[in-house]
Amino acid sequence: MCEEIVLKANESRDIVIVNEPNVRLRISQEEGSQLRLHIIDWQSADNDVHIEQVASNCVTEIYQVAYLKDNQKVTTHTNVRHLVGGGVSKQVLRFVLSEHAKGDFLGTLYIAKDAQKSCAEQSNRNLLLDDTATMRTRPQLEIYADDVQATHGATTGQLDENALFYMQQRGISRQAAERMLIVAFLSEAIETIRNEEQKEKLLNTIDSIL
Amino acid sequence: MKLLEIKNLHASVAGKQILKGINLTINAGEVHAIMGPNGAGKSTLSAVITGHPMYEVSEGEILLNGKDLLSMNPEERAREGVFLSFQYPAEIPGVSMVNFMRTALNEKRKYHNLPQLSATEFLRLMREKKAMLAMGDKFANRAVNEGFSGGEKKKNEIFQMAMLQPVLQILDETDSGLDIDALRIVADGVNKLKSQDNASIVITHYQRLLDYIVPDFVHVLADGKIVETGTKDLALYLEEKGYVAYN
Ligand SMILES: Nc1ncnc2c1ncn2[C@@H]1O[C@H](COP(=O)(O)OP(=O)(O)OP(=O)(O)O)[C@@H](O)[C@H]1O
Ligand SMILES: [Mg+2]
Repeated sequence: MCEEIVLKANESRDIVIVNEPNVRLRISQEEGSQLRLHIIDWQSADNDVHIEQVASNCVTEIYQVAYLKDNQKVTTHTNVRHLVGGGVSKQVLRFVLSEHAKGDFLGTLYIAKDAQKSCAEQSNRNLLLDDTATMRTRPQLEIYADDVQATHGATTGQLDENALFYMQQRGISRQAAERMLIVAFLSEAIETIRNEEQKEKLLNTIDSIL
Repeated sequence: MKLLEIKNLHASVAGKQILKGINLTINAGEVHAIMGPNGAGKSTLSAVITGHPMYEVSEGEILLNGKDLLSMNPEERAREGVFLSFQYPAEIPGVSMVNFMRTALNEKRKYHNLPQLSATEFLRLMREKKAMLAMGDKFANRAVNEGFSGGEKKKNEIFQMAMLQPVLQILDETDSGLDIDALRIVADGVNKLKSQDNASIVITHYQRLLDYIVPDFVHVLADGKIVETGTKDLALYLEEKGYVAYN
């Protein structure tokens, strides 16, 4: 999939991409436009998303969910560019990996010198379900304005053993407990899909492939 | 009738011997208090009974109504009726109390070949137990223990206990963190759940809880062994004298 999209002033657009092996998106956002993008992968994929806020008061939201096993690989490069001030961007990326799966996230965040009062947030959290899976995370911040709010965080860890034992102590099988924790972990990024029907369908599908 | 039998139990954690030959028999309908200095092994005993994977049993046995607990995994023990009110309950972000409780109840019912609860039955049960413990309405939609205060977590443990109606309930310092009113509500709840078919182990440092939940026996656990057993007067004695006699 390869697309160039211009969001007109005050336009609001939701895009949900599921299991596209090759994503090339170039999006340009005009004054006050709002983008909510979901990229959901449980197969190998290469995602490259380039988004420019070319006028003020834009909102850019990117949600990436990857659930991978068996040597699958997802590479995601986001390049979010605040060229003009007063915009908001939010990126939430969740990878769950096992069985030699690989995740690779490169998150470029650019805030131009004059893009004052920009607000940018990038959160990448990953779960490795065994020790054969690997995750590489590279936040790349290029911030040239001084009056901005930019936060980023990246963590990679395992399922919480404490929580798992707690659930087992209440009679929930280890397997079901792991599933519940994974669904909970991923749903934070999926819950934001506005189309209820689509969201339910995805949550059910993910539940069934776990 | 013997509900729980612990015989010559030895257990270690991280290569360190903690339980050094515990013998304890609890009959149906009884409440046993376990007291003892910090680090004596009280929580270790709870962890071993519930099957925590970090704790290794090197010797001894644990029988629940004659069944060998040590050969079961933690979830099987729970479904057989073992319940632990944790000293430090875990937080589970993203998993709602409703989802958690429904899954736990239904897995237990499935194990006992009972039909799944309908949504209406489940919600009625939730409401009833919430009322019993004077819990707010909102908590059911919150994630399990996430952002709960210390006291709220302890109350939530007893709520779950009321929902699951265990055979053996272990309360590990449930009183710590509870305010005076909450302590009374929780103790009332525990007393209401008492029957001739179940039994309780109450681990506490303070006599006060035992004014509400009156034990049939009080044991002192020190350095991995039960060093003394008495009636509720023993707790009063300990409150006054401490554990010097056992060091
Ligand atoms: N996971 C663990 N790793 C290492 N040591 C442990 C672990 N769990 C318990 N211990 C040690 O085992 C001993 C007994 O601990 P335990 O928690 O059973 O004590 P306790 O009697 O419950 O104490 P308290 O009254 O303070 O709750 C302590 O010395 C403790 O440090
Ligand atoms: Mg303890």
